[in-house]
Amino acid sequence: MGQGGEPRRGHAYDGELGAAVARAQDGDEAAFAVAYRLVQPGLLGYLRGMVGDDAEDVASDAWLEISRDLGRFKGDGAGFRGWSATIARHRALDHLRRQKVRPRSSALEQDVLELPGVHSTHDQALESLSTEYALELVRGLPRDQAEAVLLRVVVGLDGPAAARVLGKRPGAVRTAAYRGLKRLAKQLGAEGVTDDGPRTLGESK
Amino acid sequence: MGERQSGGGMPGRRHVRPGGTASGHSAGARGVLDDAALEALLAAAIRVEGVDAEGERRAVAAFRAAREAGVHQARARRRDDWRPREQRGLARSVKATLSLFVASLALGGVAVAAIGSAGSSSDDGDDKVRPTAPATSAPEQPAAPSSGEPSGSGPSDRPDAAQDTEAQCRAYEQVKERGNALDAAAWQRLVTAAGGEEKVAPFCADQLAGAQATSRPTPSTPARPTPTPGAGNATNGAGNADSGGSGQAGETDNGVGRKN
Repeated sequence: MGQGGEPRRGHAYDGELGAAVARAQDGDEAAFAVAYRLVQPGLLGYLRGMVGDDAEDVASDAWLEISRDLGRFKGDGAGFRGWSATIARHRALDHLRRQKVRPRSSALEQDVLELPGVHSTHDQALESLSTEYALELVRGLPRDQAEAVLLRVVVGLDGPAAARVLGKRPGAVRTAAYRGLKRLAKQLGAEGVTDDGPRTLGESK
Repeated sequence: MGERQSGGGMPGRRHVRPGGTASGHSAGARGVLDDAALEALLAAAIRVEGVDAEGERRAVAAFRAAREAGVHQARARRRDDWRPREQRGLARSVKATLSLFVASLALGGVAVAAIGSAGSSSDDGDDKVRPTAPATSAPEQPAAPSSGEPSGSGPSDRPDAAQDTEAQCRAYEQVKERGNALDAAAWQRLVTAAGGEEKVAPFCADQLAGAQATSRPTPSTPARPTPTPGAGNATNGAGNADSGGSGQAGETDNGVGRKN
C-alpha cells in the first residue's frame, strides 16, 4: 500500500531511466535499449497480470508504439514508466477485447485459495512466491484491485501516476490497491497458517 | 528473505499481534503480512527480470525505423506529458497567462475598432440623411411659400406617402408650366402612385383637391392648378382631334407634361 510514501521499487533507477530516455529522444539507440531493459521487467509483469500468457506479444506491440511515439513523450524516468504503462495497458485492453475475454472476476478466488500448489511449506510461501502462484493470486482479485496492485507494486508507479494510467481518481486507486494488498496478505497468511501454523507465528513474532 | 522480512517488519509497522493473537479474526490477524514485505514478494514474483534479447532487438529496430522516418518530431499530446505536476501546472499557467494576454489584446482591438466603426457609421447616417433631405425638400421648397405648409418638423420626420405625393404634385404643378423636369426619382414615384404617366395630371388634381378640402384653407395656389390640368388635357385632346396646325401648341404643351 505504501501510504507512508516510502520510496517505491523502481525509483532507484529512475534517474538513470530519465537520462536514457532523454538521450533516446535525441536519437541514441543504445540509450533506448537501456530504457527498454529498465522498463520491460515491470511492464511485462503488469501485462502478465492483465493478459496472462499473451503478455509477451502484447508487450511487443506496446514497445512498437513506444518506440514510434517516443518523440512525443515529455517527462522524467518516473514519468516514462507511467507513460509506457499507459500504452501497454491500452494494448492489453485491445487484446482482451479482441479475445472477448471478460475482465477477471473474483470467481477464481476460491480456487486459488484452495490451491495446495507448490507452496506446501511455509518457507516456499514466504521466501519466494512462484511467479505463477503470485499471478494467480493477483488475478483472483477484482479487476480494479488487481490493476492497482500491479501498477503500484510491479511497475512501481506512485499513486497519482497509477491513477492517471487507469484514468481514475487517485483516491479510488489508492483504496483499490489497499484492499487488494490486504486481501493478498490474508490469503498468503492463511496459507502459511494452514500449512505450518505454529512456525509462522513463531517466526513472525 | 524470511529473516530479513521479519526483521524489517518488526520495528515499524507491524500489525499488532501481541499475546492475544487470535482475538479478532483468527487466520486473518495472524496471517497479515507486513506491507512492504508483501509488496517485495509480489514484485519479485511477478516482475520478469532478465530481458529477452529478441524483444529488445525488435524494440530497438522499431525505434531506429521511427527515428529515420522522422516520426520522433511529432508534437506531444496531452497524454504524453508526464512531467511532474508542478511543471505541468507551471507550463499550463504560463500558457494560460499568455492566452489571456492575447485575448485581452484582441478584445481591446475589437473595442477600438467598434469605437471607430460606430463613429463612422454615425457619419454614414448623417450622410444618408443629408442627401435625402434635399431631395424631398427640394420639391417641397417651392410649395412651402405658397401653401405655408407647417411641416417644420424637418427631414427626420418623414412625411407619409400621401403627403409625399401631395408635395410632388404641387411641385409638378409648379414646374410644369416652366418646362423644368421634376427630380427623376420623385417623378417616378409620382408616376407609380398615379398608375401611369398620362394619369399624373388628373391624379394630382384629385390629390391636391382632397388635401385642400381636408387641411388647408388657402385656396390661392391649389385652386388654380385644379382646373388647369383638366383644361390642358382638354385642349390637348382638342389639339389631337384637330391634328392641324393648332395642334402644334397642344403637342408641345403635352410634351412638356410628358417630359416632366
